[in-house]
Amino acid sequence: MPAEEMGKISRKMRVAFAVSSMIFVAALAISPVKDLRLEWKQNKRAYVRFAQTRPDTKRLLADFRPGIDQIWLPELGVVDRCTTCHQGMAQPTLPDAGVPQPFRTHPPIPHRVGDWGCTVCHRGQGAATEIAEAHETTLAWEQPMLPMKYIQASCGSCHRNALAEAPKLNRGRELLAEFNCASCHKLQGITRAAMPGPDLANIGNKVSREWIYKWLKEPRTVVDADGTVKVNGYETEESPRMPQFRLNEKELVALSGFLSVQRSRSIAPYKIDPRVIARWDKQPDVADQGETRFRQMFCSTCHSLAVTRAGETKLIGGEIGPELTKVGSKVNPDWLLAWLRNPQAYLPHSQMPRYEWTDEDLYKVSRYMLTKLTDSDLLSGVPKFEAASAEEVETGKRMFIEKGCASCHAVEGVPPQQDLGPDLTALGGKNISELDFGQSKIPRTLPGYIQAKLADPTTVNPAARMPQYHMAAADREAVTTALLSMTGPPATSAREKLVVSSRTAPEFHAPGAFGRVYERYKCAVCHQFNGFGGTLAPDLSYEGSRAQKPWMIDFLKNPQTLRPTLILRMPQFNMSDQEATILADYLSLSLQSPAVDPQGAGAKQYTPQMAALGKQLYEVKYQCQSCHTIGSAGGYVGPNLNNAGNWLKPEWIEAWLKNPQALVPDTIQPRFNFTPEEISALTAYLGTLRQSGKAAPAHASIKVAAVRGAGK
Amino acid sequence: MMARTTTAIAVACLLAALAGCRPKGSMEARDPLRNAFDTVADASDAAKLVPLTYQQAQGKRIFETYCVWCHADATPAGPSNRSNVTPMPAVITDGTALNGLSDEYMQTIITLGGSALGKSAMMPPYGETLKEDDIRAVMAYARAVAQPPYEPAARPKPQIPVK
Repeated sequence: MPAEEMGKISRKMRVAFAVSSMIFVAALAISPVKDLRLEWKQNKRAYVRFAQTRPDTKRLLADFRPGIDQIWLPELGVVDRCTTCHQGMAQPTLPDAGVPQPFRTHPPIPHRVGDWGCTVCHRGQGAATEIAEAHETTLAWEQPMLPMKYIQASCGSCHRNALAEAPKLNRGRELLAEFNCASCHKLQGITRAAMPGPDLANIGNKVSREWIYKWLKEPRTVVDADGTVKVNGYETEESPRMPQFRLNEKELVALSGFLSVQRSRSIAPYKIDPRVIARWDKQPDVADQGETRFRQMFCSTCHSLAVTRAGETKLIGGEIGPELTKVGSKVNPDWLLAWLRNPQAYLPHSQMPRYEWTDEDLYKVSRYMLTKLTDSDLLSGVPKFEAASAEEVETGKRMFIEKGCASCHAVEGVPPQQDLGPDLTALGGKNISELDFGQSKIPRTLPGYIQAKLADPTTVNPAARMPQYHMAAADREAVTTALLSMTGPPATSAREKLVVSSRTAPEFHAPGAFGRVYERYKCAVCHQFNGFGGTLAPDLSYEGSRAQKPWMIDFLKNPQTLRPTLILRMPQFNMSDQEATILADYLSLSLQSPAVDPQGAGAKQYTPQMAALGKQLYEVKYQCQSCHTIGSAGGYVGPNLNNAGNWLKPEWIEAWLKNPQALVPDTIQPRFNFTPEEISALTAYLGTLRQSGKAAPAHASIKVAAVRGAGK
Repeated sequence: MMARTTTAIAVACLLAALAGCRPKGSMEARDPLRNAFDTVADASDAAKLVPLTYQQAQGKRIFETYCVWCHADATPAGPSNRSNVTPMPAVITDGTALNGLSDEYMQTIITLGGSALGKSAMMPPYGETLKEDDIRAVMAYARAVAQPPYEPAARPKPQIPVK
């Protein structure tokens, strides 16, 4: 380099220096610009701009802080920074859809967000400050946010009891129980039924091998892709009982062969008195008379039948027992008679009451069922079978075990199975990497996996043993919600303390004479006793405080519904006077409410003046006729009160008018603010209401002179 | 010429740096019923579903337990008691009758019954049976299903504090 040029900066150097400085400045600028453009900071600024367009700017910005906001709940393991962007969440004035997200008010829920955080319900990564990281599955965080349509699953992870507030979760849990999922899978909060399907130990005495073949091939209950349930081809609301298994012809033949030889106890055929048969055999309308008896006994309260009305055929009747439209083509006649007389002799766990039959009724009703409730085409297309060979029986038995039939059904010589399918108690908390999607095209999310398995169990694993269930999309969503709620044991002890478990009432069994009649007529299938039993009919836990004993005896012998809108009514069991008295005695003495004082109103004198005032109050001031019927006028929300004087105990009426919810917590009768005088007057008036034609029993507790001759 | 190139390089660097700030993935496609806790068929078009919030869904549940018997034409038991009540009560979806009533009015008539406001005593008081929140929920449900749709005159007051 020449000396004169030393110290001089060449143009080239200058340019290089300029370029490098600019790059350096630009590089320095990256960090602040990046910082300025952080998603949460953009949202912070956007919120301020948004608040300035609202009339209540001052309040919206009162708590505003430019930094990161977080809810920190160490006991729950919650560090949720969601409120950094979701800044309007607690502001009451931003709920409408016009407010842009993430600023909208959180919809009202029963929990305070500040006490629980966000991820407890919504899942996702609470500590993240970037939108994608907070909401989605990332390399570092596998639990994405729970899609809103399954949000009720989060209610269920703590509330393991039935939760009326979360209808979808409830429906899902009901379906899991109805479909008997717990027979093969361990589920959180859903216990395995003691006997999920019928005992088949004696099935060979009940039905033919052809019928078994047909049933296994096409179960009576079929659900199409829309979730429409059809029983024997008729649409119904009934939930499907047995699912469809994927069985080939060889398996069908073997299984039907195996089942047709299950005859563990022989049936002693019942001989109807030949004189009865001789008398009725010739009558052309014996089956029609049988139908009348079938209706009068209210078999339809538990069993449905296809009924054609106005050109439309549908199933009408209850769901406790099986549908019977084609039962005459199904069962062996000897079996039917034996069953009707004593169901528990064939199936010890049957819920069917043991009716008291006369030979005449038994003959008529069985003729009706065997000749009218039939379908000659039922077994068309089914091959005629010989008696099952020893080889078929052996193969059938193997099939029975392999297919998991023993998970629901009992036969002799096959031990009951449990937990045939995988444990699902922690399915709802699984990460995607823990799920086996195989080669399927299922969306790679947990809800997607569950939905696909429910829609078709073979999508993931073609060799799946799980049978095909058909559900409507809404039901599948409900079941998915319920499964997502099963997140396994709580992560922290603080969370464990939050779990609300369901409590089941102990079974109600009574000793002695009452116990025998109670078991015979299966009262607990429809009625509740101290929390145990069915919900179809009124809770009888406090019946002794409510009803008068003579009325009970009359009712048991000839049940007349008090609620005219009901289709399902108490069956007529043809019980004897003695049995009715045993039931009424026990109910009166033992099933009493502590809230009703039996001495309280009994001694009270109800005068005709009080009754007259009560009538005024009933008709004018409180207009009870909007819901209750007296005579032929009034509403039918509440029970008919025509016979209230014979039916209800005055002390019950008084306690009821004071506070109905204290006696029946979920009654819809509103609690009025009656004065004590009004309560006495209304009780006096109701005591005068007695059905004509029925003389008041001598010991009826309400005595009102006005009714039977005021002048005396 | 050289200066222009430098600027270009600098701008390119800056853009590259900024590109790093863009969100990595787009949010999951919006769920059409994103805010739905429960749904109910629209009164004027049964095929259309109205999404309900938690509070409105509770209102629906309470309505269908206590109120449906007289304030709807179809009930869980089948027939409605509406025609047995005089004057005939408004159905829950009747916006023409209910939209004009203020929240305070509705709350009072449900709590104290019809006679408290000089209306029919056939409407019983529910203040001793339902909690205040339950009554608010029923009102929120009525507002959600009203046809024609309910438009609040003023912004609604805070109902349940969330924080």
